[in-house]
Amino acid sequence: MRLTVNGGEREVESAPLTPLLHVLREELGITSPKAGCQQGGCGACTVLVGGVAQRACLLPVAALDGADITTLEGLGSPEALSPVQASFHENYAAQCGFCTSGMVLAAHAYLEGGGTPDRPSIQHALAGHVCRCTGYVKIIDAVAAAAGGEASSNQRWLPRTGEESPVEIPGAPA
Amino acid sequence: MKAVGARLPRYDGVAHVTGRTTFVDDVRIPGTLWTKALRSPAHHADIKGLDVSKAAGMKGVRAVITWEDVPLLEYGHLSALGIPADEPLLAKDDVRYKGQPIALVAADDEETAQAAVEAIQLDLEEKPALFDVRKAFDSDAPKIHQWGNWYPHFEGEMDRRQIRKGSIGEAFEQADAIVQGVYRPAAIEHVPLETQVCQVVPEADGRLTIYSCTQALYFSMGVVAAHLQVPLNRLKFVGGTVGGGFGGKVDTATETMCSLLALKSGKPVKWRWTREEEFLCSSTRAPWHMEIADAVTKDGWILGRKMLTLHDSGAYGRFSPYGLTKHSFHHTGAYTIPHLEFDGYCVFTNRVPTTAMRGFGVTSVSFAVETHMSRIAKELGLDPFEIRLKNANRIGDTSPNGVVYTDPSTVPTILAVADELGHELPADYRTMSSELRTGELLPEHLVGQLGTPEAH
Repeated sequence: MRLTVNGGEREVESAPLTPLLHVLREELGITSPKAGCQQGGCGACTVLVGGVAQRACLLPVAALDGADITTLEGLGSPEALSPVQASFHENYAAQCGFCTSGMVLAAHAYLEGGGTPDRPSIQHALAGHVCRCTGYVKIIDAVAAAAGGEASSNQRWLPRTGEESPVEIPGAPA
Repeated sequence: MKAVGARLPRYDGVAHVTGRTTFVDDVRIPGTLWTKALRSPAHHADIKGLDVSKAAGMKGVRAVITWEDVPLLEYGHLSALGIPADEPLLAKDDVRYKGQPIALVAADDEETAQAAVEAIQLDLEEKPALFDVRKAFDSDAPKIHQWGNWYPHFEGEMDRRQIRKGSIGEAFEQADAIVQGVYRPAAIEHVPLETQVCQVVPEADGRLTIYSCTQALYFSMGVVAAHLQVPLNRLKFVGGTVGGGFGGKVDTATETMCSLLALKSGKPVKWRWTREEEFLCSSTRAPWHMEIADAVTKDGWILGRKMLTLHDSGAYGRFSPYGLTKHSFHHTGAYTIPHLEFDGYCVFTNRVPTTAMRGFGVTSVSFAVETHMSRIAKELGLDPFEIRLKNANRIGDTSPNGVVYTDPSTVPTILAVADELGHELPADYRTMSSELRTGELLPEHLVGQLGTPEAH
């Protein structure tokens, strides 16, 4: 069986009914999709299948021969964040980070489908994605900012009031 | 001080949003075995037979452990503080909650491990179970713990956390009214998105590398070392990346058992709980039963409080005595009450053992106290903000356990809430501060409790 994963062709040898999540994590070593519940209930394993956000824990790999899969590793790199990734970072939408992979991919699919900053629409798009840290507000802020074109590279980091130059922090985007 | 007032990136933000953060489940060690547990199907039972020989002989099974494999079977989570141990790492003679681990299997893959668990022969004789803390004191209640149905080892071998302050009898004699309430917040599961997980690698030099999702790394290290009866320098803990904890990853849930499996099999071992296990077997925030009776005056002063707390500890002690102690110190909340009679019990039930969760022991009593404050206001026909401001902790007031407040924040907090809600207050309330009590804010009943802030 063959899959295109993050732009690369991959041969897959797992048994036909193996969930895509297991194939990605255990056979291909791609770990951003998380095994949060393995029952389709939490959204942490979300990947894009042909651009559509799907739960990898519920998809038997046999149904995906030839499919185009994107995981969070394929969206943007640490050096070049995608707009949604940048917005999540800038709006502190990732706390423990465990739900973040699924959240970012679902938000990406929402924006690719013409999503707007309308908060009820964002809530609808992220329904079924569980986060226990943030209370969702910052996640919705992040998606709204990205949808409104406000996500940027490194423009949200501010020095304390009265200082002239931005603070240099190790690990911060240049 | 560059960071104060600045808007800074999270140090782990880029790794999170690009999927590069390595959680415990993401650590890749070739040849790692998978673990599954045989857990008690009963809430309360005696173990009459346990035979793992068939499971141990199955193809692909590399290690099976039971209580016999644990060098030190009982080590309490608070043993380091001198609180005695009561819980076996793996059940030996009896099981006291549904989901309690009895035996573990490490095998080449998850399916084999599960099949081996199902091949273990377990013979249980079920016993009546206790779930209601209020019934634990009845003479015919099921006996569920070697210490009795409630924790008996507070200082001086007292069977309760007790606070006595002032003269409660006097307060109730002088009261214009007695306001009573019962408050019963339920158990809450933490539901971290990352279930309990750990990975243990036996190294060539005899040490164990333990990848742990613990919230309390050095604490867990002590617990594992004690059960294994090895010095701390045999254990290398790798932690710091927690996929949500909220208090639920303070208990050492997996590390010790995985270490034993790694030592027995000689191979790296991983144990990742299913979501079902997380709901069924992981510790929760405790359910609490709280009864409050306050002696109050008709103008809204609280002279005295009698309080009874039953803290549902679940089947074993773990951190509950500590949680109840915090609870007792906070049983007047953000308010000053001079005459107190508090009795709190850690009650054992056949629930999963309970543990820390955000504000361990205190959120429950805060819920009760704040609800009770509004109840007092309602019964007396007074404004709920004014009664709070009047009784609010101020500089020089003393807490139930005798701490003198030097920087209390009750007054400004309540004023800020009133502002946000647009709640009108009379001028003498609007201008209140946390300063030392004087004049009308120092009625006779509060004089005796005043302390000296400078001394603290």
